[in-house]
Amino acid sequence: MKVFLVDVDRCVGCHSCQIVCKDEHCDNDWMPYAKPQPDTGQFWLKVNDYERGQVPKVKVTYVPVMCQHCEDAPCQKACEHDAYQRRVDGLLLLDPAKCTGCGKCAEACPYDAVFKNEELGICQKCTGCAHLLDEGWETPRCVDSCAHDAIRFGEYEDFAAELEAAGYLKPEEDTKPHVYYLNLPKRFLAGEVADLEIEEVLIGATVVLTDIESGAQLTTTTDEFGDFWFNQIAASDYQLEVSYDGYMTRTVKDFISTKDKDLNVGTIALYAVK
Amino acid sequence: MSNEIKTVYKSLGLCGFGMGSNSAAVDVKDGKILRIRPMRYDTAYEPENYNPWRMEVNGAVLEPKNKTLPSPLQYGYKKRVYSKNRIPYPLKRVDWDPEGDRHPETRGEAKYVRISWDEATDIIASELKRIHATYGPLAVLGQIDGHGESKIIHAAHGCPGKLLDLMGGYTLQARQPDSWEGWTWGAKHIWGMDPVGKQGNVVNLFKDIAENGDALLYWGCDPETTPWGWGGMQPGRISRWLNEAGIKSIYVSPDLNYSGAVHAYKWLPVLPGTDAALHCAIAHVWISEGLYDKDFVATHSVGFDWFERYIMGGEDGEPKTPAWAAPITGITARQIKAFARYWATHAVSIAHCAGGGLIRGPYSSEPARLEVALLTMQGLGKPGAGQVNFMDWGLFGIDEIYPLPRSKCMPDLASVYNGWAMLTLPHNFIPKTLIPQAIMNPPVTWGGGHVIAGLPAEDQFITWDYPHEGAAEIHMIWTDSPCWQTCWNGGFEFQRAMRHENLEFIVAQHPWLENDCLFADIILPTTTKLEVRDISSDLYSGQYNMLMHEEQAIEHVGESLSDFEAVGEVAKKLGLYEQYVGGTEDELIKKGFDNSGVQDMVSYEEFMEKGYYVVPTAEDWEDDPVAMSAWYNDPEGNPLKTPTGKVEFYSTGLAEHFPDDEERPPVPHFVPYGVSHTESSLHPRYKLYPFLLCTNHPRWRVHAQNDDNTWCREIGTCKVAGPDGYMYEPIWVNPIDAGRLSLKDGDIVKMYNERGATLGGVRLSERIAIGALYQDHGARVDTIVIGEFDRAGANNLICPSNTTSKNAPGEVTNSFLVNIEKVDVFKLAEQYPEEFNRAYEAATGQIAIDKIVEGA
Repeated sequence: MKVFLVDVDRCVGCHSCQIVCKDEHCDNDWMPYAKPQPDTGQFWLKVNDYERGQVPKVKVTYVPVMCQHCEDAPCQKACEHDAYQRRVDGLLLLDPAKCTGCGKCAEACPYDAVFKNEELGICQKCTGCAHLLDEGWETPRCVDSCAHDAIRFGEYEDFAAELEAAGYLKPEEDTKPHVYYLNLPKRFLAGEVADLEIEEVLIGATVVLTDIESGAQLTTTTDEFGDFWFNQIAASDYQLEVSYDGYMTRTVKDFISTKDKDLNVGTIALYAVK
Repeated sequence: MSNEIKTVYKSLGLCGFGMGSNSAAVDVKDGKILRIRPMRYDTAYEPENYNPWRMEVNGAVLEPKNKTLPSPLQYGYKKRVYSKNRIPYPLKRVDWDPEGDRHPETRGEAKYVRISWDEATDIIASELKRIHATYGPLAVLGQIDGHGESKIIHAAHGCPGKLLDLMGGYTLQARQPDSWEGWTWGAKHIWGMDPVGKQGNVVNLFKDIAENGDALLYWGCDPETTPWGWGGMQPGRISRWLNEAGIKSIYVSPDLNYSGAVHAYKWLPVLPGTDAALHCAIAHVWISEGLYDKDFVATHSVGFDWFERYIMGGEDGEPKTPAWAAPITGITARQIKAFARYWATHAVSIAHCAGGGLIRGPYSSEPARLEVALLTMQGLGKPGAGQVNFMDWGLFGIDEIYPLPRSKCMPDLASVYNGWAMLTLPHNFIPKTLIPQAIMNPPVTWGGGHVIAGLPAEDQFITWDYPHEGAAEIHMIWTDSPCWQTCWNGGFEFQRAMRHENLEFIVAQHPWLENDCLFADIILPTTTKLEVRDISSDLYSGQYNMLMHEEQAIEHVGESLSDFEAVGEVAKKLGLYEQYVGGTEDELIKKGFDNSGVQDMVSYEEFMEKGYYVVPTAEDWEDDPVAMSAWYNDPEGNPLKTPTGKVEFYSTGLAEHFPDDEERPPVPHFVPYGVSHTESSLHPRYKLYPFLLCTNHPRWRVHAQNDDNTWCREIGTCKVAGPDGYMYEPIWVNPIDAGRLSLKDGDIVKMYNERGATLGGVRLSERIAIGALYQDHGARVDTIVIGEFDRAGANNLICPSNTTSKNAPGEVTNSFLVNIEKVDVFKLAEQYPEEFNRAYEAATGQIAIDKIVEGA
């Protein structure tokens, strides 16, 4: 069975995958696999971007999303015209000849990966470039275009070792996708520790992060710039305890929450024991 | 299916100058481009034929792929070829009558009528003859250089010069060192490095940094964007590899650029145009805490005492402390101190691409020199410490500026390149930055020599002028690079200049109807490279060099001819075609191959049969001594090209030739404002224009190229959809600034200063420093009021007209003062009904048909 493996950590947001999907499928008719994708506005593969944090602790995470080729596909269940067919290789295709364009599959898809093409009167989605695979291509266009190997495609068995750490885009949907994701973003929490009385950062300060709900603790130390980062933590309310030799330990918990967003807590000032 | 598909190879990089890159395989079916995909090196060769290289450091591996690494701009190039903005046929300005009234005052507004090639070339030939007879050949200005498609025989820029040379010459618009301004006008005077002014020997430097470095400072440097034009995706792969090898990536820039957003260990958001103040404060920490290599400075430099005096406040009573720099740069004193101490105790290198916030602003000579000063204070050339470039690798065929495993050869197609050749010294010319002044207010004099990219520092001590030695002023322009107003300094000035009555005739040739084309009297439609056959190179991939035979992919679109053919049609009318053309296409391709440098590595027959040749990696690349290591170990035996042979903290050349220049004094300074510029928070103008605009080379364009690409324009960072359906150029506003101004994401704002205004769409973003704004440069101009007001976000229109500084004629196109305010686009549409109701498609933007009317 063929699967996609998307490593979000390797994606740089160049959108090449999104653009080559258009290069392959806009104004090109690949019947019986697919009719042309509209030139703009619909994305059989779309790169979503998430700007995270606040100046100067900021990152952007990009997540390419295409049809997840689910084992338990809501689109397929919603289709009353038997237009969805599973290939032997595991790809799920939507037969343009059978599709009536009723749009029920598009509504059912939790990944917003099926599109209603009003002009052609059909619904459409990623084909995994099945027309190319059947011609001997090893991978779909999106995979071929990725300079950073952020999207890979192959046999489930070949990726088995990596799939243990992988997850689904929306695990709560329980659709058993054939698209697996590595390093999907959780939250980060970062900040700076400084002595503002002498205007110096504090290097090597101990920072303990406590998840107020679960009680779980993480510990790190500030780097050469007085910065600390906690990456891939849960969305939760937190308490920070910052300690440094010769300084009074400080605990901060007001507004230390990643429930809604990644957080740069800013500067945590410590005061020297006089 | 596949047997109906023809595959051709094309280098799709947009550098121009006969230097190809970003190669791709183009599949063609039924006369149409089917797809553009990576080209595989191993289609016709075995990997052992091209000797794959490999670097492994701390378990991290970097090696070439077996295919090219085009950027999204190349993958989407089909949309450029078939753009609704293509010029369909030759055009004449509707109210321009060569026999009667020429109406220069309507340029930029008047529409066009269709004419035949025969009529168009008749007019051009007769105008050339008339201008030559009346004023002489130097009355013709050739704007015939710049970035564009990298074609050789069918060169995008320069073919008119080939014809004009046959007619007795012309006045050249000189090829400035753009995107290297500060390096050229500043750094050359401290370390004498050629050709660019950046570190002139970077051999094996990436390997050295990975093996011996601790951190790489990406100073106004975006490897995930800037190299897309000619370089592709390898720069981003190198960034990732360095991170994996344990190098800390520190981004110093007003914007968290696209590379920093995914690769940064740390971001120091320095306000636009204040890098020099940050440099000074770092030097202050090092001097006051004894954190620099005094012995090295003593043996490798001159004039450090002058520099120390300036930094410590001996010259102006102002010690350049971190506390002094903090309010200027927007970086706290404690962060500056921590940064300075980290740098002083680790092996730190600095990375650049072309452009970036550091190097294109007012007084860019100063941060460039100061950076070299800092590198020198920490032992430039010691293991892991240098200045490395993420693009233009091996520029001009120079092995010493190639930082990756060396190729056996860089194929050179100069023998058949029909474009304007870099490094050619002109006699009658106008610096590109001074074109508006030269037209509207001649004569013009400048200190700065030939103003051609790549020349040594000494050339800058020559004073030159226009018109030179009694030559005629210009009365005609022939442009094949019609994008001045959205790429250079002070575009609204340029618009006014194009309407000057002295300009009797302007002819433009270009594939797309945009920008300066709309100020021309005659417009010739030219092809993209997909429509012609050519020979080409691939030089900047960072993987392997190649020579390619580029077959024609598709027929010419519309009535277009290649730039070479278009000029050839004019040559025919002048009886000069035989001299002009120089051989058949077959003969020229063979000649190009024979002189390429690979002619002894592969036979012509094999090359033509396979369609390409991959140059092998040099067997002994690892033996090449690292970059500046020889100089580091023996400065006397390996002198620099400065007058003293050392790093000149006190520039002896500047001191001799411009001793009283306060804008570029012998010792590098932080110059907030002066006689040339007032673009600083320390100047009273800041009260009126309280934002510093950072405007880099664009993400989804290459300068002005690609702004009509439907597949890019629908990406969220490319355009902002206005409530009127127009796609506005994004302006990044920090949420704290937006809150003060009550601006929301998606609002349309006017961005302005006293030089004019342009519109943009607000993107609330944490990727821009508080107090700064960010907007890409190079949007396709959509004028509302000529010389005053633009809709498209073409911010070059409102950047300073003045050059780098009094004696440095570089461009200033970044880090200048603006203000923004929310506008109601529907009210503007009432105020400017014609301008807001042009034929327009959101997917493409402006379309050609809007500018064309029926009948004559």
